[in-house]
Amino acid sequence: MNCAHHRIPVRRLSTLGLLAAAAWFAASATLRAADEMVPLLLKLPAPMFIGTPKDMPANPNLEKPSDKPRPPLLVPKDVRNLASSATLNSSSTNATQASLHKLVDGSKEPSDAGTVLLRKGTQYVQFDLGAAYELFAIVIWHSHDSPKVYHDVIVRVADDAAFTQNVRTLFNNDFDDSSHLGAGTDKEYFESHEGKLVPANGAKARYVRTYSKGSTDSAMNEYTEVEIYGRPPAAP
Amino acid sequence: MNRGLLLALLAALAVALALRVPQLADRPLHNDEAVNTIKFRALWEKGGYRYDPNEHHGPTLFYATLAWLRLTGAPGFVRMGEADFRWVTVLFGVGLILLLPLLADGLGRGGTAAAAGLTAVSPAFVFYSRYFIHEMLLVWCTLLLLAAAWRYHRRPHWGWAVLAGAGLGLMQATKETFVLNLAAMVAGIAANWLWVRWTAPPGAPRPTPLATVRALISPAHLAAAAGVTVLVAVVLFSSFFTNASGPLDSFRTYLPWVNRAAGASPHLHPWNYYLEHLLWFHPKAGHWFSEAFIAGLAVVGAATGFRRRTAENAEPDSGLIRFLAVYTLVLTVLYCGIAYKTPWCLLGFWHGAVLLAGVGAAAWWRAARPVAGRVALALALAAGTAHLAWQAWQLDTVYATDRRNPYIYSQTSESLLELVDLVRGVAATAAEGDHLRLKVMAPDSDYWPLPWYLRQFDQIGWFDGRPADPAAPIVVAATKLDVALDDQKTHFMVGIFELRPQVFLQLYVRRDLWNQYLAKRPKPAE
Repeated sequence: MNCAHHRIPVRRLSTLGLLAAAAWFAASATLRAADEMVPLLLKLPAPMFIGTPKDMPANPNLEKPSDKPRPPLLVPKDVRNLASSATLNSSSTNATQASLHKLVDGSKEPSDAGTVLLRKGTQYVQFDLGAAYELFAIVIWHSHDSPKVYHDVIVRVADDAAFTQNVRTLFNNDFDDSSHLGAGTDKEYFESHEGKLVPANGAKARYVRTYSKGSTDSAMNEYTEVEIYGRPPAAP
Repeated sequence: MNRGLLLALLAALAVALALRVPQLADRPLHNDEAVNTIKFRALWEKGGYRYDPNEHHGPTLFYATLAWLRLTGAPGFVRMGEADFRWVTVLFGVGLILLLPLLADGLGRGGTAAAAGLTAVSPAFVFYSRYFIHEMLLVWCTLLLLAAAWRYHRRPHWGWAVLAGAGLGLMQATKETFVLNLAAMVAGIAANWLWVRWTAPPGAPRPTPLATVRALISPAHLAAAAGVTVLVAVVLFSSFFTNASGPLDSFRTYLPWVNRAAGASPHLHPWNYYLEHLLWFHPKAGHWFSEAFIAGLAVVGAATGFRRRTAENAEPDSGLIRFLAVYTLVLTVLYCGIAYKTPWCLLGFWHGAVLLAGVGAAAWWRAARPVAGRVALALALAAGTAHLAWQAWQLDTVYATDRRNPYIYSQTSESLLELVDLVRGVAATAAEGDHLRLKVMAPDSDYWPLPWYLRQFDQIGWFDGRPADPAAPIVVAATKLDVALDDQKTHFMVGIFELRPQVFLQLYVRRDLWNQYLAKRPKPAE
């Protein structure tokens, strides 16, 4: 029997094997390189052209950020608003005692006459309660005449007027620390007639500062009202 | 040209540039400006432009921008700035003054000088010269047509006929509303013809309309002008013969635009909208803004065209003044009558008023006697002009994005620039840099002008609603979509920013990326 046609081509197989191995190594090397270097480029939708958008009127509160009423905060029965009898000052040099009084006059209407305008940049209003109190809630109304969001809203309490002793931060939504009081993790929020309620959880302090750094509407800092709810600390 | 007129025009040019150029990039790009820049990007980077008959007007703005940016050796698109684009409309705004000498023997030298001064300081013309949209180009092309036609009327010549034809072709290729200007021009010519017939002395020849047209322009010149009009329009609408349907689309466009004009639009305003914005704009506490000074002078100027006795070849030419008066009035009525209104549309008829106001100021000057009267008039004109210039400056700087500015409309808020800075800052500290993946989502694609501001990123997806998987290292989402990525504890919601009044965007950043940004970023300025 002539076996020539059935003879196994060893040399040819060896060559093929070497080529396959080389290809595998090359492919492996390529894959490793790809794992390390090449960013995954995705096909993402391109922007759609649109026409001139509608010019929205100045003030109607069309966009309601939340339809849900704020859940009630439970506080002791004997708390009262301490802000109305506090002594106020501000980092904003244009703020007078008379203008700051608007913050505690009980009026929460965002009218021009009832709103205090503090200068640009990070500004605070400081409340000296006259003595240390046990605090449970601080409620802040900036200007809420139209949907807007104030930036770097920070609420701090301390034992001294210079805010060097026992400083505690109750609220801070300055995510990028642009006000240099430490980066916060609280979320920004839309102003509304409800005001922003900051729980104080019984913190004991004499001084309260509320900070802000302009809004989506203006670089200025506007305040309508602030209320601080607390009670004298229990006797030791 | 008379030396006094030359000096007056040079002074007007200097004032016009001084009011238009400073802080050109400061006002955030309006939605429409950003759309124009991104449409231009395709032309710049790929040489492609295709006329869209449904939106965004004609091709002139894009090709003029291409010429300007090539001429000035602009960098790549990503490195271009807002001012690079706004310079185009600044040049056309200032170019209105450069065309005025062609009308000097019609408006009179004093009228031309005064019109140049008022063009330079009119707050509307200053504001929209700094706005990368089509309107200023339309006004310029219209003046080109009027000036060339006037020169032809004074001395018929092929060159002026061809230039007028080019002006008309450019008008069509700039904005669909050019038909309103044409209608007002026809009304102006017809009214002039009627006036001449009415005031002709008994026994004088009374030419028919056809004879009047033949006397105005020779058939050969008319054919040449029409040919150039068609050529210019076809070249531009067909994107230099690469889009065969473009020229036909330039007529199809009237279907959607007529629907909008009839009321199918969010831009419906009462008939007095433009007049209120121009003459007395005082929506709430603060300054009032008014260009009533121009309106008052324009009435005086228009009246000079309707005097019964004027000397032959006198300056100003009463025929041109009558034409301008009727043209301006008809165009004003047309724009006020159409329910669709955006404030920049007022430029068309207001330019007629500015030209007439120049004539009015000069007429008053000629009539003022004795010396004390001229001094008083000079002081009044100087005060009125200075007040216009002051308003123009205020509106371009202090009130550039303020709703008390009569000329802003759906203006992008400065708050958006804070979002853009934050996105760029986070990306700068990420390993992927400009290849970082971003997703931007808003109902009805209402995220403009972000495509301009985020143009450096090549891995950015734009969604007209909440996609199935909204997550990405950086997500910009309309607050209405309530994406709430922070609920998953994968992202921080690092801020809410205003896109325009009443329209808000939330910025989400993946937690590890944000922490890395806080650690690596340059220290914020005190």
